[in-house]
Amino acid sequence: MLELLGVRHRYDGRVVLDIARFVVAPGSGVAIVGPNGSGKSTLLRLLALLERPGEGEVRLDGVVVAGAKAPRAGASPRRRITLVEQRPVLLRGTVRENLEFGLRVRGIRRAEVTRKVEDVATRLAIAALLPRRRHELSDGEVQRVAVARALAVEPDVLLLDEPASSADRAAAQTLYRALAEERARRPLAVCLASHQLEDAYRWADDVRALAEGKLSPVTPENLFRVELPAGASGGDLKHVCVGPIEIAATTDKTGPAILAVPPTDIFVSREPLTSSARNVFLGRVTRLTHQRPGAVHVTADVGVELVAVVTEEAARDLGLTPGGPVVFSFKASAVRVF
Amino acid sequence: MDFLGEGLRRAVALLVSGDGEVYGIALLTLRIGLIATVLACGLGIPVGFVLATRPFWGRRAALTVVNTALAFPTVVVGLLLYGVLSRRGPLGGLEWLYTWQAIVVGDVLLAFPIAAALAAAAVQGVDPRIRRTAETLGAGRWRTAWTVAREARFALAAVITTAFGHVVAEIGSAMTVGGNIRGQTRTLTTAVALYTSQGDFGLALALGVILLLLALLVNVALQALQGRGHA
Repeated sequence: MLELLGVRHRYDGRVVLDIARFVVAPGSGVAIVGPNGSGKSTLLRLLALLERPGEGEVRLDGVVVAGAKAPRAGASPRRRITLVEQRPVLLRGTVRENLEFGLRVRGIRRAEVTRKVEDVATRLAIAALLPRRRHELSDGEVQRVAVARALAVEPDVLLLDEPASSADRAAAQTLYRALAEERARRPLAVCLASHQLEDAYRWADDVRALAEGKLSPVTPENLFRVELPAGASGGDLKHVCVGPIEIAATTDKTGPAILAVPPTDIFVSREPLTSSARNVFLGRVTRLTHQRPGAVHVTADVGVELVAVVTEEAARDLGLTPGGPVVFSFKASAVRVF
Repeated sequence: MDFLGEGLRRAVALLVSGDGEVYGIALLTLRIGLIATVLACGLGIPVGFVLATRPFWGRRAALTVVNTALAFPTVVVGLLLYGVLSRRGPLGGLEWLYTWQAIVVGDVLLAFPIAAALAAAAVQGVDPRIRRTAETLGAGRWRTAWTVAREARFALAAVITTAFGHVVAEIGSAMTVGGNIRGQTRTLTTAVALYTSQGDFGLALALGVILLLLALLVNVALQALQGRGHA
């Protein structure tokens, strides 16, 4: 089990990551979702033991392998965790030499190295690229080679930073299929950072949201970076500007913050409801997706894009269709501020 | 202009005839240059790696010291080394003053900061993802350093060439601690200075041409070692 405990990490004095606990369990599939600059890449580099946290520690199977007071992690724990960066680079040499690199540093016999390289190249459909050099590859091909290179060393934990950002749809499917096959073949934990919620939900067991270096206490949809006004308009009730709309929230905080509306706390209807909900927004359905069995994610444009989760039965009864009218209602107390 | 033409003709004649003294001086210069370059780069390049890649207390100050040492006047280094190697100096017992070994020590002192500072710059110029990639694939410290060095090979070759060029062209320290003794510590630069002051322009020019050829030879050899430059 790979675990981050009490980590507070700074760049140039600015806190970029502040996480009490983050766990990647053996064989699990975890997705970290968040906007650019939310700390996803830093989190992955700490998990990969490529950086030492300024405060806190990283544990592997209960043993501290990196920490503010621990020495820099050696090659031994690092050989169990492999990171594929968002914009990976290939080392000097051919694609084959790149795939061989991690196996050779582990002292694996030549025949075994060749067998493993050809096996992983076939699985990721890059066998034709083996004799090529890095300047002969597209960005998407480099990304696939980098994933293959990481899979070749058979790590316990594979960390992927936006692994399909340069890939076309077909290449992304090949990549996710290869990951699924690998996980079916052996106990491989995968932790993936992405800004695409759909991809994250499609294959991850656990989706976590990261915003401003902090893990969100709620699911990753409907997160907004806001400026909370200083004066309350009535108790702790505040009207916060989110794009062209105003969201009512109960909070005593002021200044910059992240505002989250849990999708399960949004009432979906065709007409405005008479209720205590302070937030009622009329809009149109832009997307209906089935990301979990029995549940439908309803995405609507109400001035900003909001996502609500309803049961399949409710979606059917309401007759929700893309382009159709919809009303989203939620209480001010349902809005989370952190 | 006549004396220039005459000097060049003399130079060619000396080179073609295989003059013993000229080639003796050239060989000594080459030997001193190679030994000093190997020692300075052997020490300086790893120091440059550490300065570029390892965060430690005082790293910035160390980089400043190394960069300042680049501008150290050669004659001052020679003077300090003279004091150290002279009979009353702390290393007088070695009896290296006015030997080729003393010239090597002076050259190493001069070329070491060049190797360290330029190697640090070369390594800092390598994409940091290369190092992270090697590490995340399980490479240890040495294998990671080797991987980074392969990426910086052109810049590191330039470090070696610059160090060698500095060593063979240096005169202040070689004159002070070597003494320009005929057949023992006379190098190409000290000989050029001597023969020019004696008015033997042809001989001085011949030695200058050899100096240029030596630099060219080392550059060609290093380029050949770098291979064809595949990415």
